[in-house]
Amino acid sequence: MSIGKILALDKVATFFNIIRQNGGIRASLYKLYRQDELKDGVLVGEDKYGNKYYENPRFFYGRNRWVEYSDNYNMNYDGSQIPAEWFGWMHYKTDLPPHQDPSRPHYKWMSDFTENLSGTTGQYTPYSTTRPKVEAWVPKPKTSQ
Amino acid sequence: MLRQPLTRAIALSSPSRVAPLGARRYADAVPAQPEKVEVFIDDKPVYVPPGTTVLQAAAQVGVEIPRFCYHERLAVAGNCRMCLVEVEKSPKPVAACAMPVMKGMRVKTDSDLTKKAREGVMEFLLVNHPLDCPICDQGGECDLQDQSMAFGSDKSRFTDIHFSGKRAVEDKDVGPLIKTIMTRCIHCTRCIRFASEVAGVDDFGTTGRGSDMQVGTYVEKMFLSELSGNIIDLCPVGALTSKPYSFAARPWETRRIDSVDVLDPLGSNIVVTTRTNEVLRILPRTNEEINEEWLSDKSRFACDGLKRQRLVTPMLADSRGNLTPVEWEDAIVAAARAIQDCPPDKLLAVAGDLADAESLVALKDLVNRLGSENVYTERDFPLEGSGTDLRSSYLLNTKIANVEDADFVLLIGTNVRFEAPLLNARIRKAFIHKETDVAVIGPKIDLTYDYLHVGDSASVVKDLATGSSSHEVLKRLDAAKRPIVILGADQLKTQEGSALLAYTQELALRLQDKLQDKNWKVLNVLQRSAGAVAALDLGYRPGVATALAAQPRVVFLLGADGGVVTREQLPKDAFVIYQGHHGDVGASIADVVFAGAAYTEKRATYVNAEGRAQQTLPAVSPPGRARDDWKIIRALSEVVGERLPYNNLDEVRDRLGQISPALVSYGEVQDNNYFAQARALSKSLQKPVSGTLDVQLKQLEDFFMTDPISRASPTMAKCVQAVIKQKSSVY
Repeated sequence: MSIGKILALDKVATFFNIIRQNGGIRASLYKLYRQDELKDGVLVGEDKYGNKYYENPRFFYGRNRWVEYSDNYNMNYDGSQIPAEWFGWMHYKTDLPPHQDPSRPHYKWMSDFTENLSGTTGQYTPYSTTRPKVEAWVPKPKTSQ
Repeated sequence: MLRQPLTRAIALSSPSRVAPLGARRYADAVPAQPEKVEVFIDDKPVYVPPGTTVLQAAAQVGVEIPRFCYHERLAVAGNCRMCLVEVEKSPKPVAACAMPVMKGMRVKTDSDLTKKAREGVMEFLLVNHPLDCPICDQGGECDLQDQSMAFGSDKSRFTDIHFSGKRAVEDKDVGPLIKTIMTRCIHCTRCIRFASEVAGVDDFGTTGRGSDMQVGTYVEKMFLSELSGNIIDLCPVGALTSKPYSFAARPWETRRIDSVDVLDPLGSNIVVTTRTNEVLRILPRTNEEINEEWLSDKSRFACDGLKRQRLVTPMLADSRGNLTPVEWEDAIVAAARAIQDCPPDKLLAVAGDLADAESLVALKDLVNRLGSENVYTERDFPLEGSGTDLRSSYLLNTKIANVEDADFVLLIGTNVRFEAPLLNARIRKAFIHKETDVAVIGPKIDLTYDYLHVGDSASVVKDLATGSSSHEVLKRLDAAKRPIVILGADQLKTQEGSALLAYTQELALRLQDKLQDKNWKVLNVLQRSAGAVAALDLGYRPGVATALAAQPRVVFLLGADGGVVTREQLPKDAFVIYQGHHGDVGASIADVVFAGAAYTEKRATYVNAEGRAQQTLPAVSPPGRARDDWKIIRALSEVVGERLPYNNLDEVRDRLGQISPALVSYGEVQDNNYFAQARALSKSLQKPVSGTLDVQLKQLEDFFMTDPISRASPTMAKCVQAVIKQKSSVY
C-alpha cells in the first residue's frame, strides 16, 4: 500500500479529476445541483436528443452506467426521456451501445421515440364512448359579415 | 257511433267515478237517489244504491275483488271471469263486475268456491300466456303477475315441455307509440273499449273465438288518436307497452315524482319516472277534477324532447354574432350592461308559453323596478273592454270536471280535441253517457263525436248573441239547462278579436242569466298554453305587436319561442336576451342566452286554463350549467343594481300571493265573478264582424309538435311521420 493511499491522496486526486472532467468549479456545482451527484466517467455515446451516456466501472454494478440528460430538458428530466435504443444498455441487457451494435434492426416503419407525456398538455386522455344523456343545442353559425 | 242510454250510464257510475264534491257543486239538481239496498260482503253489511255491481259494493267495504277486464271508467265487459265470487243461493259463482246487487244478497269473496274459481281462471289464462316475464316490460307492474301470485295455483300443471301447445299470435303495428306483443294478450278488451268509448276510434276489435281469438285492428292500421298512450296503462299484461320506453327500466329501479304537465293548457297531473338523473317516462296521475286518469300522447311521450336541443350553458354572441358558451358571470354581466344602457321605455320583456309563475313575477318585478311597464305575453288577447282585468274573461269558468254535466256545448273557433285533448275527452264522455249535444262554430273538424256545424263565420256568433239568428242552435241553447260556450283564445288575436269576445260574453251571459242554476257558468275561454293564465294573472299584457312597433332596444324573451318576436321587427342594434330551456326560435335570435330549467327540473307554479294553480316538482336536475329560472332573473337583478327582494322560493311565492292569492292556493280553483261587469264593459265593442274562424291544429299530425319540448322530441317527429303515412294508406 502506497503512502498516497494511506493518506487518501488518491481520493483527493479523484476529486480534482471529477471537478476537472465536469468543467470546473462552477459547472460542477451546477451539475451537482441539477443531478444531485457528481461523477467521473467515460462518455460512451450520445443519442439524437442530446442525452449523454457515461460509464465508469469504478462504481459498483447498478451505478456504473448513467445518463446526463440534455440541457434542453433543464430540470424537467425523467427516465422516460431515454430512447428505446439506449434502454438496453442502461439496464445492462447489453454491453454494446446502439452505435456499436450492427445487429440492431433499423426499418423505415419504426416510429420515433416519444417520452411519457403524462401530466403535460400532451397527455393521453381517454374519452367516453357512451352517448350523452342530454344533447345540447348547437346554435347555427351566422354567415360571416 | 257508440252512444249509451242514460240508464246504462248511471249503472256504470261507481262511487269513485263521481267527481269530488267541490267540483260537483252545480250538480245538486240530480234526481233524488232511490232507496239503498242492503247487501252483505263477507258478512259485512253495506248499503248501496240499486244497480251497483257486486264488485263496487265490495270496494265500498274495502274488499278488493281481482279483475282484469273490469275498469271503472269503461263499460263492463265481463269476459275475463277473474272476478268470480260465490253468492249464497246461487248455483254457480257469478262475475262480480257485471252482477247488480240484489236485496239481502250474501257475497262470499273468501270462500273455497271463490278461491277455486279464481285459481281455475288463472290457470286457463296462464295456459296460453308466454313465460317471458323476465324480458317483459310490464314485469313488476303486471296485473297478471301480481294476481297469479295472490290468487293463482301454487304449482303448474302445464307439462308441455316441447312447447307445442301455447298459442302464438302475430304482433300488430299500431304506430310509433305502442308496442304490441299480442301473444301476451289475455283478451280483456280494455283497449277496445277505451278506443271506442273514450278515444272515439272504432278500429280496435276482436276476431275469431275461443283460443283463436285475437285483438287487433282487422287491417294493419295505426291507432289514430291523441289519447292512444292510455291503452298502455290500461293493458293489465304486457301485450301493449310503450315503444319509446321499451327495455329501458324496471319499475323498482325508478324514482317517481308527482308533477304537473305543461304541454297543454289543462295542467294534467303526471308522475315523472326517473333513473340516474334522466326522465324515462311520464305517466298520468289521477286527478278527477282535471285529467281523470288519462293523459294525452304529447304530454306522455314528448319527454324525450327534454334531452334534445337543450340549452346547457349560458351563451353570448361573439364579435361575429355567433353564440358561444360562456360562464354565467360573463353572460349576466353582458345582459346587465345592455339593460343598464337602455332607456326604460325601450326595455321589453316577452313571456312565452312555458314560463312558470315564479320566473314571470321575478321578470315583471325587475322590469318594473327599472321603470318599464313593457311586460307582454306572446299570445294575443283583446285589451279593450275589461281586457284581462277580470279573470272571468280569460278562463274556463265552467271548470273541466263540470263540463260533464253540461247539456249543450257550443265550441267557437277551437279544436278542443288537439288544443286540450282531455277536455275533449270530457265532452265526449258527456256526449256518450249524458245525451249532451255539441255545436261548433268554426271549421269542420273531427272531434271524435257528432256535432252540429253552425258555420265558420264570426258573424254567426254575433247573430247568436243578438238573438237574431234563425239557426236551430239558438233555440237549443235557449232551451238548455246547463249550456256552456267555449271560445278558443286563438280567435282573439285578430282585429275582430275584441268584438268576438264581446259577442261571446254577451251570448254566454244572456244564457247564464236565464238559468235556474245560478251557480252555473256558461262562458269559457280556452287558452292555448300552460303559462298563459299565470302571465295574465300577474299583469303581463297581451299584444306584443304594439310594443315591437315602439322599437325596443333590449328585449328579454322568457321562453318566448312562438316566433312572434323576430329580428326583422327589431332595430338593428337591439339586444335580445333569451332565457329558456330549449334552443328554438327564441334562442336563435338572441345575443345572450340564459340556460333555464324545463318543467321536470324545477319546483314551479303553473296555472291551468281553469285558473287552478299547481306546482311541478323537480324530478331531475337541470342539465349542465342550467339553473332555476327565477334564480337567474334574481341574479341578473343584482348585477343590474335593482336587487329583487326575495332570496328563496318561499319568498317568491309570498310575492306571488301578494299579487294574487289564487296563484299560491295549490290544487284549488276559485269561482270567477264580475261576469256582468265584463259584459257591460264589452257592450261598446260589439261591432260587426265578418271574418271566418279558423283553428291552427286541424289534423292529428298538427297536434304532436306545438312547443319547444315536443318539437325537440324524436318520438313526436315519428308520430307525425306515421300519421302522414297512415293518411296515404288505403285503410
